[in-house]
Amino acid sequence: MNRPPATARQGSGGADPVTGLLRTVAGTRSGADAGLIRRAYEVAAHWHQGQQRASGDPYISHPLAVATIAAEVGADDPTLCAALLHDTLEGTSYTLAALREEFGAEIAHLVGGAMAADAVPGGQMAPSHPGPAREAVASADARILVIKLADRLHNMRTLRHLPPATQLRTSKQTLEILVPLARGLGLDAIRSELENLASGALHRYGPSAATVPGRLLAAASALLPAATRNRWCEEWLGELSVLPTRRQRASFAAQTLLGLARLAVILHRSAGRKQEYR
Amino acid sequence: MTLQTQLVLRAMLAEPAAERYGLQLCAETGLPSGTIYPIVARLEQLGWVHSSWEDPHEHVAEGRPRRRYYRLTEEGAQQARDALARAYRPRNKPRFGPGVTWPDVSGRSR
Repeated sequence: MNRPPATARQGSGGADPVTGLLRTVAGTRSGADAGLIRRAYEVAAHWHQGQQRASGDPYISHPLAVATIAAEVGADDPTLCAALLHDTLEGTSYTLAALREEFGAEIAHLVGGAMAADAVPGGQMAPSHPGPAREAVASADARILVIKLADRLHNMRTLRHLPPATQLRTSKQTLEILVPLARGLGLDAIRSELENLASGALHRYGPSAATVPGRLLAAASALLPAATRNRWCEEWLGELSVLPTRRQRASFAAQTLLGLARLAVILHRSAGRKQEYR
Repeated sequence: MTLQTQLVLRAMLAEPAAERYGLQLCAETGLPSGTIYPIVARLEQLGWVHSSWEDPHEHVAEGRPRRRYYRLTEEGAQQARDALARAYRPRNKPRFGPGVTWPDVSGRSR
């Protein structure tokens, strides 16, 4: 949808992806260390080589987009480098010590901080543990929070590639934690985009998404081919939302689940023939 | 063709141009949702049925998520009539035997 231009150029084999980022930086401030930013990009690209996003894009498109969002709000060089490097320590043999040696203590501190904040409020924060999450957030360097916000914003922009259950969980958490955080930091453009994307996703699935039958159906839709999941999940949650009684909703969910295996077989069989959604 | 698929087609042929959503098909056929969805998915793959989202001005006005609507395609309506006609044919005649040419029990070729 509205991907930053730097990302769109990824994989086209054309222009240098860092140039777009540097142009964004130049639009908000002067005196950027282009060499340092380029080096951070190259190290990140090296470690993410062969990795992919859920969208099928090369993984490096994500840190690049995160850095671009950070640049748009005027982030300094260490923050931009940390944004580029923020995922390099996960699932690779790269270490924080090696990163510190290569980029210095300040950037390492930001990357480590972004990771630590991730471990608590990130991917799968259980709703029962909001306390530590908020504390981690409250005690962090504001620049780490900018990275987290930019990270979440790009994840929200590309949310449709994830399973419906994840979309719902991430959107809910975005509204509860990230939106107030952006407001607190005075990052209004990020706040309003996060808010629109998250409430849009929740609205699309309707109020039944928060109910037990709704969550069951959203989770079960993970069995369907990725390209068709959102459509069926949205359809079922829509039907759920108009059933008047709890009993009818439970029965609809149970019956739909009974037919799920058959539906999955039918849809997977034709996975070659791509079905258009939306 | 299964009996359930026949029920769905018969319900849709009652008003071939009408659009129906999943719960409506459940109500019209008496079949549970877990039976309806695989059938309409299969019919959609065959091109007999077309599905599309409800217009925003309808569901937004009613304050609910949009519905997925199903309707028979023109070809689907024709195919469905043929298939049902075949299915209704009496079966007490010998299906294979001297002098009997029984056309197309598979429902595939015509």
